[in-house]
Amino acid sequence: MFNQKKLSLAWGNPPSRDRNQNLAYTLRITVGLVWAILLLAPFLFHDVRALEVAARICIFIVLVASYDLLIGITGIVSFAHTLFFACGAYGAAIGLKLYGGSWSAYSLGSLAGMLLAVTIAAVIGLLSLRVKAIFFAMITLAVASLALVMVSQFSAYTGGEDGLTYKTPALFKTATKLLENENGSTVKVFGTKLNGKLAAYYFLSFSCLLIFALTVRLVATPLGSVLKAIRENDTRAEAIGYRVVRYRSLIFCLSAASAAVAGSIYAVWLKYTGPETVLSFTIMIDILLMVVIGGMGTIWGSVPGVLLLVLAQYYLRDLMEIAAEKTTGIPLLPELLSPERWLLWLGIGFILVVYFFPKGLAGAMLASGEKR
Amino acid sequence: MKKQQSGSSLQTKSLSISFGGHTAVNAVSCQFHPNELTVIVGPNGAGKTTFFNLISGQLKPTHGQVILNNHDVSQMPPATRARLGIGRAFQLTNLFPRLSVLENIRLVVQAHSGDGWRFFTRITALPELEAKAEHFLHLVGLSSVAHMLANELSHGNQRKLEVAMLMAMEPDIYMFDEPTAGMSLDEAPSLLELIANLKNDSSKTVLLVEHKMSVVRALADRIIVLHNGEVLEDGTPDRIMTSKLVKDVYLGNAGGLA
Ligand SMILES: Nc1ncnc2c1ncn2[C@@H]1O[C@H](COP(=O)(O)OP(=O)(O)O)[C@@H](O)[C@H]1O
Ligand SMILES: [Mg+2]
Repeated sequence: MFNQKKLSLAWGNPPSRDRNQNLAYTLRITVGLVWAILLLAPFLFHDVRALEVAARICIFIVLVASYDLLIGITGIVSFAHTLFFACGAYGAAIGLKLYGGSWSAYSLGSLAGMLLAVTIAAVIGLLSLRVKAIFFAMITLAVASLALVMVSQFSAYTGGEDGLTYKTPALFKTATKLLENENGSTVKVFGTKLNGKLAAYYFLSFSCLLIFALTVRLVATPLGSVLKAIRENDTRAEAIGYRVVRYRSLIFCLSAASAAVAGSIYAVWLKYTGPETVLSFTIMIDILLMVVIGGMGTIWGSVPGVLLLVLAQYYLRDLMEIAAEKTTGIPLLPELLSPERWLLWLGIGFILVVYFFPKGLAGAMLASGEKR
Repeated sequence: MKKQQSGSSLQTKSLSISFGGHTAVNAVSCQFHPNELTVIVGPNGAGKTTFFNLISGQLKPTHGQVILNNHDVSQMPPATRARLGIGRAFQLTNLFPRLSVLENIRLVVQAHSGDGWRFFTRITALPELEAKAEHFLHLVGLSSVAHMLANELSHGNQRKLEVAMLMAMEPDIYMFDEPTAGMSLDEAPSLLELIANLKNDSSKTVLLVEHKMSVVRALADRIIVLHNGEVLEDGTPDRIMTSKLVKDVYLGNAGGLA
């Protein structure tokens, strides 16, 4: 099939499709490279902050990809994504807090959190996916606000505003030595200690890569095709025999489960779970921005979207500080580049991206890639 | 009388629907048989499209029933009726605009084959879906534009895609709603021929809303005239063309059955 197409490209066809194909490959290769760097991060970057950033990027790729499955692929607008993220995180956190840092506590807590997320998604879905998109969005917003209130109300279990700190399974303790040398200290490879922190990072990054790969795969299946059809024209999808409400509910639950798993993974990495890290609306807004910057409906876009925003959030200030120092003496510039103004520049950057790439970074590269 | 072979029997029993005070379809009772092509005619606003919507489930009746093979399907959602063999095409082109022409058809094919829930097998690993989709595209002459987006097609080609999507459903009951509206005169006949052939190939029931009376007369086994939501006449083309009632109504109706 593919070869035939290549042959027909050789003659007479405008070069645009060829170029589109190349852009699509470039995007995939870039995304592959980013993942390679993320997986090698502990050996490439030796400061603690860099590893925190890498972990956050991995987690948010899963969050954004699973959110794109809803908003970009199926056309469902939901504001409850952090609620599902929080279900997984609090499930794991409460499990570890109550029953100590064991694997069984962690997996049972995570499982309970995921089941809770899927149950909430199923109830919201079956009760309200029939209504108009705008009402559905409002309902998810209401449920997410309710969750924020509940977390502070049930502070005996959730730790309220302060959140929870807890022990992780022994393998993930920083003091754990994965390999010991004859002196009894942790073996180092390329200057990186093979300790529990490293194990935790690989648990996190490989799990995230797996979920990301499964999400990309899902879009390329017959089910993915049905979801796009529902986004494009739900009455026609129903008319040709697809029970639209069932498909919408399924994908809402699936995306909720995916967010919950991301939450559980993040919880064991951070060793802390609180509203600020997993439930606040700031996170929801970050996810929305990342989806838009990356390109809605592309899944691949989650990677550049997350990368850009997280790096900006962590490093723009430092960068501006350096720039401001370098430009001292030049009038006005140091003031403009003063690190306190980083949010302003982030905002300007966001507007520029949206202006020049209305379909997002990946969307621009896949301009008519949807055709295939 | 035609002999009923396999196929499906479709019946409406005093089917009615009102929008506010306005009754768009009023107590329509009809039986449709396999191997029969029924053309439904009537002026704009007569209720033809609404009648189709009631049969395929986009609308639920205020009164009356739709009976398929002795089962009342009036309360079933459209997707269930589609799976039971009621297929329809739309008067206003109703495609998946930003998906490719091929994918539009493949979606219908995979709905029919029951592959819609497969979440791990790549669609490209199911070449039989694509082959079947290409067959239907070939049938209506759209093979060369298979990789264009549906909304990039000309109006005429969008109408063809609309017809191909219904064909790909392979239903027992086909309902075409003005399939050639707005098509050029040299494109329409071949498409209508394709539709007329359906009932010969197998024991299929075909309902067709069509305005061009010259064509209708040649194609139809039976003509139903709808007027203000009611059946004005129902019979063979010859009978309808000579009906005094139809003439009376349409004489006072500029344009009419020309
Ligand atoms: N969803 C609806 N809401 C209100 N009125 C409708 C609706 N659908 C159809 N109608 C009305 O029903 C009548 C029949 O329309 P329609 O079935 O489209 O006629 P036709 O297809 O014969 O031209 C028209 O008067 C139309 O305005
Ligand atoms: Mg109509």
